[in-house]
Amino acid sequence: MKVVVAVKAVAALDDEAELVDGDTAVDPDGLEWDLNEWDAFSLEEALMLRDAAGDGEVVALTVGDEEAQDSLLACLAKGADRAVRIWDDALEGADPLAVARVLAAAIEPEAPDLVLCGVQSSDAVNGATGVAVAAHLGLPHVAVVKRLELEAGVATVERELEGGLVEVLRIRLPALMTIQTGINEPRYATLRAIKQARDKPLSELGLDDVGLDAARVGAAAGARLRRLRHPEKGEGAEMLDGSPEDVAARIADIVKERMSA
Amino acid sequence: MARDPKYDVLFEPIQIGPKTLKNRFYQVPHCIGAGSEKPGMQAYHRAMKAEGGWGACCTEYCSIHPESDDTSRVSARIWDDGDIRNLAAMTERLHHYGALAGIELWYGGPHAPCMESRATPRGPSQIPSDFEINIHPRYADKDDILELQQMYVDAAIRARDAGFDIVYVYGAHAYLPFQFLSPYYNKRTDEYGGSFENRARFWRETLIKVREAVGDDCAIASRFAVDHLFGPISIEVGEDGARFVEYCDDLVDLWDFTVGDIAEWGQNAGPSRFFEENHEKPYTGQLKAGNHTNKPVVGVGRVTNPDTMVAIITSGQFDIIGAARPSISDPFLPRKIEEGRPEDIRECIGCNQCISRWEIGGPPMVCTQNATAGEEYRRGWHPEKFSRAANADKGVLVVGAGPAGMECAMILGKREMSAVHLVEADKEIGGCVNWISQLGHSDGKENLFRGTARGLGEWARIRNYRQIQLDKLRNVEVHLGSRLSADDIFEYGAEIVVIATGCRFATDGLNPATHEPIPGADTTLDWQLTPDQVVSGEKPIGDRVLVLENEGYFMGASIAQKLAGQGKQVHLVTQAGDIVGYMEYTLEAPMLHRDLHRLGVDIHTHTMLEKVEPGACHAYNIWDTGHKDVFEVDSVVLCTQRISDDQLYRDLKADKARLEQEGIDAVYVIGDASAPRMIVDSVFDGHRLAREIDSPNPAMPLPFIRERRLWGESTNDDFEGQLRSAPDVLPLSQLGPAEVPA
Amino acid sequence: MILVIAETRRGELRPVTLELVTAALGLKEAAGGRVAVAVIDADASSFAGALAVAGVDEVLAVSASTPHFEAHHTQRAVEALIEAEQPALVLLGHTIDSMGFGSAVAARLGLGFASDVTAVSWDGGPIATRGAYGGKLVAELDFPGHERTLLTVRAGAFDPADAAGAEPAVRLFDVAFDPPLTEHIEFREAATGDVDITKADFLLSIGRGIEDKDNIAQFEELAERLGATLSVSRPLVDAGWMSNARQVGQSGKTVQPKVYLALGISGAVQHLAGMQKADTIIAVNTDPDAPIFGVAHYGAVADLFDVAEALEQHFA
Repeated sequence: MKVVVAVKAVAALDDEAELVDGDTAVDPDGLEWDLNEWDAFSLEEALMLRDAAGDGEVVALTVGDEEAQDSLLACLAKGADRAVRIWDDALEGADPLAVARVLAAAIEPEAPDLVLCGVQSSDAVNGATGVAVAAHLGLPHVAVVKRLELEAGVATVERELEGGLVEVLRIRLPALMTIQTGINEPRYATLRAIKQARDKPLSELGLDDVGLDAARVGAAAGARLRRLRHPEKGEGAEMLDGSPEDVAARIADIVKERMSA
Repeated sequence: MARDPKYDVLFEPIQIGPKTLKNRFYQVPHCIGAGSEKPGMQAYHRAMKAEGGWGACCTEYCSIHPESDDTSRVSARIWDDGDIRNLAAMTERLHHYGALAGIELWYGGPHAPCMESRATPRGPSQIPSDFEINIHPRYADKDDILELQQMYVDAAIRARDAGFDIVYVYGAHAYLPFQFLSPYYNKRTDEYGGSFENRARFWRETLIKVREAVGDDCAIASRFAVDHLFGPISIEVGEDGARFVEYCDDLVDLWDFTVGDIAEWGQNAGPSRFFEENHEKPYTGQLKAGNHTNKPVVGVGRVTNPDTMVAIITSGQFDIIGAARPSISDPFLPRKIEEGRPEDIRECIGCNQCISRWEIGGPPMVCTQNATAGEEYRRGWHPEKFSRAANADKGVLVVGAGPAGMECAMILGKREMSAVHLVEADKEIGGCVNWISQLGHSDGKENLFRGTARGLGEWARIRNYRQIQLDKLRNVEVHLGSRLSADDIFEYGAEIVVIATGCRFATDGLNPATHEPIPGADTTLDWQLTPDQVVSGEKPIGDRVLVLENEGYFMGASIAQKLAGQGKQVHLVTQAGDIVGYMEYTLEAPMLHRDLHRLGVDIHTHTMLEKVEPGACHAYNIWDTGHKDVFEVDSVVLCTQRISDDQLYRDLKADKARLEQEGIDAVYVIGDASAPRMIVDSVFDGHRLAREIDSPNPAMPLPFIRERRLWGESTNDDFEGQLRSAPDVLPLSQLGPAEVPA
Repeated sequence: MILVIAETRRGELRPVTLELVTAALGLKEAAGGRVAVAVIDADASSFAGALAVAGVDEVLAVSASTPHFEAHHTQRAVEALIEAEQPALVLLGHTIDSMGFGSAVAARLGLGFASDVTAVSWDGGPIATRGAYGGKLVAELDFPGHERTLLTVRAGAFDPADAAGAEPAVRLFDVAFDPPLTEHIEFREAATGDVDITKADFLLSIGRGIEDKDNIAQFEELAERLGATLSVSRPLVDAGWMSNARQVGQSGKTVQPKVYLALGISGAVQHLAGMQKADTIIAVNTDPDAPIFGVAHYGAVADLFDVAEALEQHFA
């Protein structure tokens, strides 16, 4: 049972972030890096599948610079068998489609039974990379998986829909799934496991190691960042006037509108 | 980070007489057990608040003469040059941080029993104290009155010499000036008694004389209990209270308003289980609102929330935010607001442990939230500075995230240990705080004389604060829902292991009175419970309940209060003379007694159980064991004593070979797991271990400075030259140029 | 032209579709002057009436071969539509369904792409606005070198268009589907285990304003009626009235629901930290200076009990 888990080191911003490079980037001093919250769940799901199968391999894979190293070590500490980091300076600021292209190129030679990704990352919140990887790999896929049961190469999964609804469906492996938080209880790494993680295989690859180059990655990109800015301070609430009945009627309208979307 | 503009009003200076108060944060006089005879503790504790941004810090009540002696309770004293010298240490250190120094000149009258001085206190009428035991004052004739007033004047001059900026004439908590003003104490028929002006004469004359002596150099303040809470027989805010403020407004540069007296001090220093934030507003807020004063007003109410502080000022309730307990819990509260990080404020929980230690008569003061309170000088602990641990490269595993474990992990994190793992078996962080904070409500509807049974919910701040701080520490990981076995701990990979696994209640009636289990007591049976089982609701409880309480603090009575609030018929039984011994010191007892009476709890003191049977508890009177009683009950709650849950610690310690093999350098045990104790002491225990984790033998606390007389000549160095566990608080000579906060 | 991909579920047109129509109509002129809405559904043509918005030029009805949404089929259909109709801009809602195929289409066809977009303008091509760094910053994206761009649009970012016009022309669009790669088993309501307020889309949050522990039951009922999850501010947890699991704030949970309806919550800074990123914040408080009005989108200075009672009438 070989599961590849594509992970991401995400950046959390200080409240006073400074914009640099003509407002196209944030001053790196204002960033704190951690493993994406969703990836703890997808990694745990992979580890559980490997443990249930009795043998197999879990490979944690990421596109990221040195700041992503700690997140990969965290995956190894939690129990991944092997980790891979792909980076090239040309990938700075890469959008989800560019990242997906690179991830797919790195995953293909692994020929996994299952590829797991998080539904989204907490910093970019695209919710797109995983399924784009599936498209490049030609893998069947399901997004936003809340529950996963595997038997004889067929996965029965629950897709978490809006409004508390769930869809149950089946998909045959090999496949790619994006995993939702709360699917399991991620294990944590003891101090010993953290120390031992440093002895596990962690390979660092460049674009040419995965058969790509800056031009091809650039061509795969879907968007360009023109600029970043701070959000406008709101003018404050739109105040609802009238009797409690009037107020309640307006609130009901707003709620129904927002919730039905 | 920058200060949120909505808090700007708190940082506006205000003039009080000849002095400028740089902001609206004012530490009102409060006790700490230091007085003039522990000048190091006094200076360093007060100045920590100044360093943290408080614009003014005051002494505790400061005796003006040996006739005002509250021993065994510790007051400050300004009797002679030696006291000037000692208190000058405080004023100097406060001035270094740009804060004003205040002194509360106090004469207690019969409330101060003079056990050390053996002098005779004087009073307006010869009525024994309603607070102390069998202390009568000598009736003060007019010569006495002149002498008493001269005591204030002489003390004020000494105070000015000592460097104080604000000099109080203290007439709150039913001390001397108030005794003259109130017809409850003053039955005189001369010009110092009877009419309002006569009763106010002593106080007014004293203010005139003190102002004449030092008013050009110092701000003259007066602390006034605007309402005695006794109704028409004493001072009421709507009558003589407001009248007095108007009458003496011209003589005062600053009013400091409170309510109540010393006999039920808990109505002023209100514990959170009965009084909410800003609870004195209906009384002390009336003076500015009713335009009775043109002078700046400071008042209290255990206010910890910066938004409440802003509202108090902008609504015109007070001009200055007064605080005692919130300043103990977080001396850096003003700075944290200034620096735009109000979420780091360590909020007072209103447990009144600080007050309890002073009431008992012993320094140091303590604080559940701030383990450094009282330790600034004698141990060199700074609440916001943490020297890097010398053994920071060691990994630490802390097992148990209750008060001790959370505090230990937090301080280890702040001391830059490379990796700290805090592992908790429960799904929630907080340990015993989580269930204890659910106690204290009966039904909360009845007004129990100014308060309601609000419960211990604010005690959950012990958890909230640490949860936020632990989350911020990158070198600390918290893992919940993970119960570690001894094997798990051996294999964890930590060089240092701290066991903080708490305690449990005895299940068999083992108790501090008989030192034996009670026959028939067995909380594994479904009709017998331990207190935590009552709160968890895991067992049904019948209509008639007996609660056996041998701890002497809040647990048994709180369980009785909870069950009676549910409509049950409750017998509360204790071998002691009081069901809530320690709560007399935390000032919670009077209100709890009121609630238990209202709820119809049957209280049986000096009573112990000799046997427990289904449906019946057999009891006897401890003075006459032949005097027996049978309580017919459906359920029994045993709150007899606690026992450490230290099995993990014992197992680890026992296998020295394996400890060595696994690279574990040391195993420590803290908090209730070491010995069950009050939460304040668990937090302290965790804190101390973390502060001293790099000392040669961390299990043994390092010596602390004892401020005592050394035979022959001595200097400060004799004391400070000694080893203290942390160099985070320095003598004035070693402090750099003043780092004056806003 | 602009191609809007409609979203349907269990025979209903999901409202985000009409929001996409609004977005499309706003860009119609700049982007070539034509707006078409594609419906991929077993009964696609039947949705024409629901799409009768003035400005929608035609409805492209793709007859799905599965009774319910199937990601690979929808992906195939959208790819076919794009290849045939050559739109400059394709709009999807940023929904659970679209997360199953949107980026796949963009990757396979080499389109410009951005997700969870909150605003779109046009300057020779689309310019999209979305959040960055967890919403703490705002990003502006463009798509140089892409003739065609696919955007997924955040629900609620645009007002829904009024389906009050003439029914648009319906054109049947044939797609050759391969056998589906997933098999639908059933729909189910999610099991309610321990409450996890961070997962709720709609939070009804109560604070000190409810005054009495006994009033909680009334708000529990209201929450159920509204289809909301009940959450609380810290004073209620401090008072022991509710469990910490429901607490929103610094020492509780941080939530980001679609709707956060706060009744009787003043908005202490520690509370705001836990909910200020909610999509729509509605606050009711008797204090006009309550700090929560500073972060709320809608506010009312009113008695929360009166409003709560009136609110019940609007929900079954």
